[in-house]
Amino acid sequence: MSERMPLLKLENVTKRFGGLVAVDGVSLEVRHGEVIAIVGPNGAGKTTLFNVINGVVFPDGGKIYFEGKDITTLPVYKRAPLGIGRTFQIPRPFGSASVRENIAIGGMFGTQGHMMSVDQSMEMADRYIGLIGLKGHSDKPAGSLTPTEKKLVEIARALAMKPKLLLMDEAMAGMNPKDIDRMVQLIKEIRDTEKLAIVAMVEHIMRAVAGLAERVMVMHQGAKLVDEPTMEALSDPRVIEVYLGHPPEGHLADR
Amino acid sequence: MNNTVKKYLPLFPVLAGYFLLFLVGKNMEGKWQLIAMLAFYCAVGQAFNLFMGMTGYVDFGYVAFLGVGTYGMAIAISRWSDQGLGLGLLVIGLLMAIGMATLLSLAVGAVALRLRGAYFAIATIGVNEGFRYLIEGARLWNGSEGIIFTAQLNTAFGRDFANVLSTYWADVALFFIAPFAAFLTLCFLRSRIGYALTAIRTDEDAAKVMGINVTRYKIIAFIVSASLAGMIGAVSWALKLTYVFPPDVFAISYTIEAIIIVLLGGAGTLLGPIVGGLIYGLSKYYLAVILPGFQLLIFAPIIIVIIVLFPEGTVGVLKKRVQGTAWEKIIV
Repeated sequence: MSERMPLLKLENVTKRFGGLVAVDGVSLEVRHGEVIAIVGPNGAGKTTLFNVINGVVFPDGGKIYFEGKDITTLPVYKRAPLGIGRTFQIPRPFGSASVRENIAIGGMFGTQGHMMSVDQSMEMADRYIGLIGLKGHSDKPAGSLTPTEKKLVEIARALAMKPKLLLMDEAMAGMNPKDIDRMVQLIKEIRDTEKLAIVAMVEHIMRAVAGLAERVMVMHQGAKLVDEPTMEALSDPRVIEVYLGHPPEGHLADR
Repeated sequence: MNNTVKKYLPLFPVLAGYFLLFLVGKNMEGKWQLIAMLAFYCAVGQAFNLFMGMTGYVDFGYVAFLGVGTYGMAIAISRWSDQGLGLGLLVIGLLMAIGMATLLSLAVGAVALRLRGAYFAIATIGVNEGFRYLIEGARLWNGSEGIIFTAQLNTAFGRDFANVLSTYWADVALFFIAPFAAFLTLCFLRSRIGYALTAIRTDEDAAKVMGINVTRYKIIAFIVSASLAGMIGAVSWALKLTYVFPPDVFAISYTIEAIIIVLLGGAGTLLGPIVGGLIYGLSKYYLAVILPGFQLLIFAPIIIVIIVLFPEGTVGVLKKRVQGTAWEKIIV
């Protein structure tokens, strides 16, 4: 596989819901191992863009390529085996199943799924439980965890799929600063050890963006506003105007 | 303890339960009919649980699979009784029952399993009623006159054996089918099929995102469950009664009973159907003895209370109780 070929490529992707253009001609390239943040205010089309990449909805226009293969209308369940993993904004672990089983399910149906037995998936699940620091909770039903723990389980479940691209939907929304820093640390660790590209969607938590992403794509009203390296993007006057509004003095300084 | 034994350990309480039930029926004077009825309810629950319990989808047309299974056996015996096939005729009948139930489930599943929740339930009610009226209206398989094959059964097996077959072996067969269904349930639970179905039951959209081909796994569960229902229909309706009439076998009340049994016992559990089947069968029987005519009136609120208090069913509650203890490995 050529290293120059982008892992994920969106060409002019458009998605309409009736008269509303949720995603408006967005093009994006994600390279292997890259960490990109997609930021934008509520309603900017971030989630729809994720759904289009993920296959939950199909675009009305444009093309999506994954490792050079056209996946524009590939059913959602066929994308995980190709290497697209995802976490949800509101975590959706399988509540009645245990933490270990949840993560093992990721392994069973992900990119390595066809060559992993149930037992092997369980063993792999234990490794990821260690990574997210939930060792004592392996046998608890995932539904009984705290929201932050559920998020961690979901991340581990997505990692167990051994994806090449991980779509993280608001991994840090609603967390306190301490948890955010821990999550950023975890994501960095994942990036370094798992060798995957991460596209993270972030609404407001700029400290997370600054600490994590190499590149930032800012969306506004469905369209791509800027796509630049993190520091440039966050200080771009257009971004400050449409996305951050008029911050009080010193607001950006503490990032 | 070696791994295979460990894996199939939860089957022992189920097998012990059926064995005990059989012994009671064998040795207690005049209780065989009751025991046969209980075995029937347990078997139907066991088979239905494989679909409803595992996927969370409620099939209101489930009895149609028992119905076509009954027809499968009835057709085989009425057509080929004079071919000198011996016991092979029963095998052919059973295979026809399985085959017809499988075909019907494939046809229904391919369409209805694309629907969710209440829509699936409503669509399946139509299947059951529709199939009954198709048989009656199109005069398929002798239409509303049904098939009476008592004479053919006598021709094929001789009067004495035919008699034992329908009064004894038809019931005994349930003691093989029900544990077999339980065994399949455990195989499901312990394999990727079971994990896929668990995911589908809790969050179908998330399951798809995880790479699970949800339609495929739902159809697998549907077909397996339906073919077991076909077998049950073939033995405990066709062989036992030696006739089949459309309104008898396509009666929605059996589906309702199956749903109640699965819920009482605990949907998706291995032990649930036998517990649910026993609770349901025994209370139905004794309520009818104590308060004839009022049994349904009393039964309905009891079921509502149980299901409201224990939405996870008896075994579901038990499973939670034993979590973290040694029993955890046996009660599944």
